[in-house]
Amino acid sequence: MSNTLESVVHKVDVREQPQVVGAFPGQPSMWFFIIGDLLIFGAYFIAYMAYRSQEPDVFLQSQQAMNQGVGAINTIVLLTSSLFVALGTEAVRAQKIRDSLRLFGLAMVFGALFPVLKIFEWLPKIEAGHTPGENLYLMFYYVMTGLHLFHVLLGLVILGFVMRNIKTAANPDVRFVETGAIYWHMVDLLWLVLFALFYLMR
Amino acid sequence: MGSYLNNRLTHVWAFLTAITVASWWIGQSRGATFQLDAMVTLTVLLMASVKAQLVIQYFMEVRSAPRWLKQTAYGWNIGLLLLLTGVYWLG
Repeated sequence: MSNTLESVVHKVDVREQPQVVGAFPGQPSMWFFIIGDLLIFGAYFIAYMAYRSQEPDVFLQSQQAMNQGVGAINTIVLLTSSLFVALGTEAVRAQKIRDSLRLFGLAMVFGALFPVLKIFEWLPKIEAGHTPGENLYLMFYYVMTGLHLFHVLLGLVILGFVMRNIKTAANPDVRFVETGAIYWHMVDLLWLVLFALFYLMR
Repeated sequence: MGSYLNNRLTHVWAFLTAITVASWWIGQSRGATFQLDAMVTLTVLLMASVKAQLVIQYFMEVRSAPRWLKQTAYGWNIGLLLLLTGVYWLG
């Protein structure tokens, strides 16, 4: 009996205090998805670098037409959104429900800014005739930032589900909140590399 | 609200933002034509890798995760940096 009780207490501990060494942030299945996604994007990053070395002048010329400032703003927007998600997750653990809703709400506002900025970045380029068919740099640029944008949109939907869980459940599912949070942080993580590769490097 | 400002996560965010601004400053064109530049490339890739490490450790909370997950996530980041710089170098 006491063993059963101990195992239940242990489970609750692990669930509510993921800071404990050896605890798992979020659901393991999400981590398998994330690791797979990181490997796929990683392969694309390396392919980009390899093709870039074949014709560096073309890549550099197209890269010059990019707005580095918008790239930096996009990065800060996603980092800020990630911060609010991380703080919101802590707030859920501390049972500060109202705080967590505000923080996740702010995360969604900043997260939603990203696609808006992307549209304003893409449209003038497409209107000026800089389409994916122009050269390999632009092909990689549209495909990879497009794939990433799809992840951002999916992430916003996931954050919506997280907020609904916090709002409606009597006891918010901490593990579910963490799972949504790590997905969102992965979206942030991938953008950090995209920013360096498509805007900054020479 | 003060507890959120004086929070380790917020400090990490401030550092991440500072590195982002610094890397933007290093990577901007300043009117000159873009040319191959290994120094700029290595610097901005390293800065991106440091940022990625911080996001993995603190935001994704991998620093308190089981060892296999730590090794996989940190290994991805370090492996990616090495491969990207290696391919750049060979090219």
